[in-house]
Amino acid sequence: MIRFIQPYIDHAGEWFPLLLEAMGKTALLSVSAFALSLVFGLLLALCRNTRWRALERGVAVYVTAARGVPLLAILFLLYFGLPGIGVTFDAFTAAILGLALAFAAQVAELFRAGLMAIPAGQREAALAVGFTPYQSFTLIVLPQVVRISIAPLIVTFVSLLKDSSLASLITVDELLLTGRAMATEYFLPLQIYVAVGVCYFLIAWPFSLLSKRLAPSAAR
Amino acid sequence: MTEPSTFILILDGLLTGAGVTVVVTLVSLFLSVSLGFGLALVRQFGKRRALHALIDVYCEIMRNIPALTHLFILYFGLASIGFRLSSIAAAILGLGLIGGAVTCDLFRAGFAALPKGQAEAALAVGFTPAQTILDILTPQAMRIALPSLGNYAVQLLKDTSIVSAIAAPEIMFYARSLVTSSFQSTLIYTMVAVLYLALALPLMQAIRVLETRYGKLKA
Repeated sequence: MIRFIQPYIDHAGEWFPLLLEAMGKTALLSVSAFALSLVFGLLLALCRNTRWRALERGVAVYVTAARGVPLLAILFLLYFGLPGIGVTFDAFTAAILGLALAFAAQVAELFRAGLMAIPAGQREAALAVGFTPYQSFTLIVLPQVVRISIAPLIVTFVSLLKDSSLASLITVDELLLTGRAMATEYFLPLQIYVAVGVCYFLIAWPFSLLSKRLAPSAAR
Repeated sequence: MTEPSTFILILDGLLTGAGVTVVVTLVSLFLSVSLGFGLALVRQFGKRRALHALIDVYCEIMRNIPALTHLFILYFGLASIGFRLSSIAAAILGLGLIGGAVTCDLFRAGFAALPKGQAEAALAVGFTPAQTILDILTPQAMRIALPSLGNYAVQLLKDTSIVSAIAAPEIMFYARSLVTSSFQSTLIYTMVAVLYLALALPLMQAIRVLETRYGKLKA
């Protein structure tokens, strides 16, 4: 046990700043990707409720495809695949885009469930008392949808945060890739990957607790 | 334009990997469900407080740390202290241990959704506690947990793609080496996406059939 802990004491001064900076990168990556997936997801959910059948079908196909294709395949396609046809992203952009595209489908399903849970009477009443259709959506319906979806959205954010580790495989120098570089440098893979795991845990756990707090009805 | 022979060559390589993908998915699914069910039973019906706390800690650790980090600890970390696992063994063990935590929660939700009267009635008519849990409560809890277990199975199939990072020779691993040798990255990664979809769609369909046949009865 002492042999396991000793390296942490010896290298704390070097490892701590490296990991802290990488945690920042992971957080930036996750938050940007999640923000983008919220926008995409909301648009997809709204497209699913329109009168245009073709649009509805298109969204359904997209959601199924995103459910069936691994994130890693999407990331590799964006970062290594698309340059073959002349479209090039830097790694960080590709990671944000890939995560957002994959998670938009999940977010869309959550929003759709939320939208369906709001009785039609809410919108009708809002229109009847003189709100415009836009106002009745943004002021009456959307806030209720957000309130229903908030706990599952936080769960989705934790998944996204964990999956942001895959960005290390397309050379984004986030937490896990920083860990890999450190593991090669110090020859202490066990201690370093455990430290990386702890870093992820420190970011993810508060959100997991929050999601449980916000969903008291869930089995617990 | 790509020669048809190149296409065949790539497809052949990817299909070789698909076998390993399917095996890793099935074995780690079996491991996850067995472990998760066991943990759920102890957590839901066991009397030892200390065990409950231990299982909770285990689940939180497994669910709040990325799978890839767990795999690196198992594969690179343990090897450094002389405990060497093969890449496929590490992949199955890692995904299975994480899946145990995930499915434990799904089973527990299933048990928690059952009305108290089920257990009380079974005990009242003379079933032993063990019979009550296994013969009366478990089949009903399974039905409730079935849709979320199905989702988990699809997720697991996709998650096996990350074990390429510890050199397990599945689809993604072959794709990466084919890209290095042929430079057809656009074609290969598109084919990878289609291949995973081709594996996932029948799985989703099978789950839908299971759900309609055995799924939760409408209340």
